[in-house]
Amino acid sequence: MSTEVGQGMTVTKTGEQGAFGGELLTINFGPHHPSTHGVLRLIVDLDGEQVRRLKPVIGYLHTGIEKQAEALRWQQAVVVTDRHDYLSPPINNLAYALAVEKLLGVDVPPRAKALRVIMSELTRLASHLVWLGTSGIELGASTMLMYCFRERDTILDMNEEISGFRMHTSYIRPGGVMADATPRFFEMLDRFVRTMPSNIDEYESLLTMNPIFRTRTIGIGRLSAEDAKVLGATGPMLRGSGVEWDLRKAMPYSGYENYDFEIATSDLCDCYGRYLVRIKEMREAVKILRQAMDQLPDGPVNIDDRKVLPPPREELETSMEAVIHHFKLFTEGYTVPPGDVYVAVESGRGENGCYVVSDGTHKPRRVKFRAASFANLQPLEQMAMNHMVADMVAIIGTADAVLGDVDR
Amino acid sequence: MIPETLTVERGVTAGDAWVTVAPANIHAALSALKDSGFRLLVFLTCVDHLADASREWAGRYEVVYQLRDMETREQLRVRAYVDGDPPHIDSVHDLFPPANWDERETYDMFGIVFDNHPDLTRILMPDDWLGHPLRRDYPVGGEVVEFSEEHERWQTAPDKA
Repeated sequence: MSTEVGQGMTVTKTGEQGAFGGELLTINFGPHHPSTHGVLRLIVDLDGEQVRRLKPVIGYLHTGIEKQAEALRWQQAVVVTDRHDYLSPPINNLAYALAVEKLLGVDVPPRAKALRVIMSELTRLASHLVWLGTSGIELGASTMLMYCFRERDTILDMNEEISGFRMHTSYIRPGGVMADATPRFFEMLDRFVRTMPSNIDEYESLLTMNPIFRTRTIGIGRLSAEDAKVLGATGPMLRGSGVEWDLRKAMPYSGYENYDFEIATSDLCDCYGRYLVRIKEMREAVKILRQAMDQLPDGPVNIDDRKVLPPPREELETSMEAVIHHFKLFTEGYTVPPGDVYVAVESGRGENGCYVVSDGTHKPRRVKFRAASFANLQPLEQMAMNHMVADMVAIIGTADAVLGDVDR
Repeated sequence: MIPETLTVERGVTAGDAWVTVAPANIHAALSALKDSGFRLLVFLTCVDHLADASREWAGRYEVVYQLRDMETREQLRVRAYVDGDPPHIDSVHDLFPPANWDERETYDMFGIVFDNHPDLTRILMPDDWLGHPLRRDYPVGGEVVEFSEEHERWQTAPDKA
């Protein structure tokens, strides 16, 4: 008997005998199942309600972002980086911007670095809030979504204030950031940083000791530290297995070495451990935000290189050279010295890397995004093996895969 | 470290260490590197150097392996240049489990055939897709919209037959 799953067919008998006297059934879980966080399809062989085999099928959200980046100029490709991991656009921008800057051999001013850290941490919070809210819904705590999206909305308001765009900000660019933050942004940030710790307490009071939540997550989806390392899992998946690895500490970028924070880890190696790691990370993110605000240096937010960034508006009226630079930048862009470079940053999901190859022209030869979700989905079969279907939902949830990131 | 007999060239670009190996030696080279501590394959991908005039290339396709030693935090990029239609190279999924999906993706996007891969099928594109989209001779495609380069042509009224 074959295990093929035909179009439109939901259940197929495999002919294999299960442990409970019945036959193994092959079912299609997704791609349009609400708990797959997008369009993930899993072909699952079930014995009763236990998972015996699991094969993720991806590609339903493939948008050809890497191909599009090759067709755009260096400064234009920033906008496509926003869209692969659509829950953390500034962190994607940061990986791309750091890679291009490394090839160009430029270093951004301290204020730009601090603003990049602020945006990264706000994004990490927003991304974890979406995860917490949707996971709460899946595990029977539907109030969570209301609480989490309330705070996420204030973060999106801040995105709008600083960049004019709520989600796909394109705020961090090669050479600096789009514009300096407004005083109103800092007022909003200050209010947010003051209220967020008590909000996190509120989430914890709803979930951490919640007996239903604990029963659904403790001991579910175990992934040992050794397996997590070998399988290439990063981010909370790796730290939830007790491995102290965070790119912000291990290979600091954008001035993260100047901030005092801890790496959140948990030795539980299960879904509950990954939940604890994310909650701790949210607290640490607030700590970093407070420090970044207090130590924010003054000065420019962009490099002073007219070959890479356009001149300020005022200069265009007085300087012929500025007009020429402006014209050249917006008609043909800038060139980047030939070479290739890989830069990795820590996103809410793990290692979000950008591999950029330049052939010395105005457009990238190749832009490859190393997606954390892509790597984090591979241990899924191992984690879900011999668990119930309902537990599989918890496991997909704590893997926190963003399908835009998986498929790019 | 990697035996000198296996390396063709080594260097550092923008602070990233790299080493080039012959495609026939890729499995042996990565196996040696894994034993010497580079236990994580961060990613595996390919670069198509079709009509790339920036330098002389040993082959059209450059298969890139980014390795990391999580103890010493050292990173190393391994390159292998392959040619042919379809280009072939050995699979390393038995050394590094994450290579399984990465190799499927590279096959899907560039048409590189990874020998000894257990399930070399398309992963992102539909199963019946023709061509390999990230090759440089594969057109980007798209629809003609206002302000696109074909705008002039788009604006002219269609011939009244």
